Amino acid sequence: MRGLGWGGMILPLVVAQASPGQEPAADGMPVLSPVTWERLLNSDDEPHNWLMYHGALDGQRFSRLDQINRENVGRLELKWAHQIRQLDRNQTTPLVVDGVMFITESPSNVTAVDAATGRAYWRYEHPLPDGIRLCCGRNNRGVAILGETLYMSTNDAHLVAIDARSGSLLWDTEVADHTKGYSKTAAPLVVGDTVVTGIAGGEFGIRGFIDGYDAATGERRWRTYTVPGPGEPGNETWAGDSWRTGGAPTWLTGVYDPELDLIYWGAGNPAPDWNGDVRLGDNLYSSSVLALDRETGKIVWHFQFTPHDVWDWDAIQVPVLADVELNGELRKAMLWANRNAFYYLLDRGSGQFLFGEPFALQTWANGLDEDGRPILRENVFPTTEGTRVAPIAGGATNWWSPAYSPRTGFLYVNSFDAEGIYYQRDDEYEEGSIFLGGGHRMPLAADHYKSAIRAIEATTGEIRWEFPITPRTRSGVLATAGGLVWSASVDGYFFALDEETGEPLWRMSLGAAPHASPMSYAVGGEQRIVVAMGNVVFVFGLAEE
Amino acid sequence: MLLLVVFATGVAAEEVENPYSSAIDVRMGQRQFQSKCTSCHGVDATGGEEADGPDLTTGSFRHSTTDAGLFRVIRDGIEGTSMRGLRRAKDQEIWQLVTYLRTLSGAVDPASLPGSMGAGRVAFERLDCGRCHMVQGRGGRLGPDLSRVGDRRGPEELAEALTEPSAEVAPRWWTVRVTRADGTVVEGLRMGEDTFNLRIMDGEERLLSFAKTSLRSVERILESTMPTEPLSGEERDDLVAYLASLRGDDS
Repeated sequence: MRGLGWGGMILPLVVAQASPGQEPAADGMPVLSPVTWERLLNSDDEPHNWLMYHGALDGQRFSRLDQINRENVGRLELKWAHQIRQLDRNQTTPLVVDGVMFITESPSNVTAVDAATGRAYWRYEHPLPDGIRLCCGRNNRGVAILGETLYMSTNDAHLVAIDARSGSLLWDTEVADHTKGYSKTAAPLVVGDTVVTGIAGGEFGIRGFIDGYDAATGERRWRTYTVPGPGEPGNETWAGDSWRTGGAPTWLTGVYDPELDLIYWGAGNPAPDWNGDVRLGDNLYSSSVLALDRETGKIVWHFQFTPHDVWDWDAIQVPVLADVELNGELRKAMLWANRNAFYYLLDRGSGQFLFGEPFALQTWANGLDEDGRPILRENVFPTTEGTRVAPIAGGATNWWSPAYSPRTGFLYVNSFDAEGIYYQRDDEYEEGSIFLGGGHRMPLAADHYKSAIRAIEATTGEIRWEFPITPRTRSGVLATAGGLVWSASVDGYFFALDEETGEPLWRMSLGAAPHASPMSYAVGGEQRIVVAMGNVVFVFGLAEE
Repeated sequence: MLLLVVFATGVAAEEVENPYSSAIDVRMGQRQFQSKCTSCHGVDATGGEEADGPDLTTGSFRHSTTDAGLFRVIRDGIEGTSMRGLRRAKDQEIWQLVTYLRTLSGAVDPASLPGSMGAGRVAFERLDCGRCHMVQGRGGRLGPDLSRVGDRRGPEELAEALTEPSAEVAPRWWTVRVTRADGTVVEGLRMGEDTFNLRIMDGEERLLSFAKTSLRSVERILESTMPTEPLSGEERDDLVAYLASLRGDDS
């Protein structure tokens, strides 16, 4: 079903009728029907829906809709917009299920609107206690769905289940104690009948984990700590008792490979961020990717991108799963452009490092060795006087989704070539308080540095094109089968690039910065492109000819 | 001890003076800041790179003008934003943070400086600084408005800006040379640049906007447009004292 081949024609209803598990209403509009695990496994078969945070289990953020394409993108117009009431960061990737869009809002709310008009059905507002510990804003990035139930993380570190038709709360499970610095911001991932979810709080000296919950009851089935305890393999990579406050949070949605039956999830920085002297060792599994067994959550393999990370380079990026041909051999690969400025290709069955190349400015490593371990340069650790290193703490890229197009074999990544000054400091750990062990600043304004959307050839690491952005970007990327790559910049532009050349084909100034990743859906046979910028969710489609 | 009890109620904070404003309190406040505030406001308090906390070194605060008001903001946070209150901090610690924040702007009492404010004002006019700089609504537009420059810049920074204007030019005041497709050239101040467009103010203070695709080139001119006339040490000190006296609260 790859590419519906609409060829630019508008064929109302065809898609809605073709999709499984639903009956159109009398007027032909789709009707919300249960999202079974089968539907999630085969999300490619219903590209008019966006059934999970990444669009599909493989994390590619590639839409198979091709109605909007390189020839007609100039006819794009705003169809409707949704204004978010709370003024804060707007990190949502909405889901669309059978004509209903689910939009999360700051701090921990979700609203259901008609995907054709943007008009609301219901809103769920999660009550939050005072004194929540958040490093970086009252964020929520999205929901997951199974059956007719939505699953959402809340800032007070709960996981809630909400009825998708009414917005009623079905269950509410405390995942961790928010007074100790734990919080939740990411969309969960449904795998089978388990809701898999991570935790935030790496700046508060938490002990990170990934959890699996019974989708029906909210009872926890398993917990896998990203900082091993005494007696567990990896605990020896933490000096003394430093593992207790080791961080390694898991604040972005992972992915799943049905054939290998493995869940993949990134883990963030060790705590304290910038003082490694109090946690000597590699600090597993901070700044690593983990492959987990679906049923037990047990770690099957791990790969650490930044051993003994002292720069805050979380491996909180989307694990992008793609089957690629490498040296004449088909590999089940994982593509990863890391915050530390290296692009990695891994074998996702074994975790074997295949190769890695820088995709952005970096001054901390003389490349990677044959196992993918960085060969450190001298004088790159933070000091009390400050050490100048590229990339910045915010990274060469960050959590914003990259996109992979199977049409081009390129991974499209937002990137930033800048350097930071890293400071080390002694910090006492105090439960529930910020625990950084230092600080970071950029020596110059962002205008001095270079930012770009880069097309990385997945099998070589070569930058095939780049689209420079002034002053920089904090947006994810979406690729669509119409040959387009969509992203946004902090100067408030939303734009579409040619997937092969990077040439800008369409743009609109929306006047506020993005903090999210675009997505695409269709309703009534018409493709839509969605981006959250400022406090607004904007929905675009083709103007009538 | 009795004093502490009174202030520890917090409610009284609306009306009171900051009781912790000595040099040691500045240092204690800085330590508080380093451990609790830098992840949003940056290690030098000029704003966060990732978390968008505002710049706290400008000499003015959006949510309060008084020490008591700053105390309340730090203790309670700001509803509807990421600024959360330090609810568990002791009142003393919050006052020390206020004291530290007050030191960040670089503002000094101009009377304590070696130069003469009055002589500096005369020199400012003699050197025709107003051709480019506005003060209290009078003057040009080709340099920063100096009406409140004393709030945010300390005497050392002011002296450097006078003697070495090209040492550090904020991106808003970069000069660019724009070459159009037809080869004509226009120079001006870079008021705004984004991925697709460039906006400048030219030497005649006209606002111009260009689509980058319509241009042959855009070059940054590293030299500041500020003239570097040699100043005597005395003139420099006088100008510094005058500039330091330009404050928001005495207009």
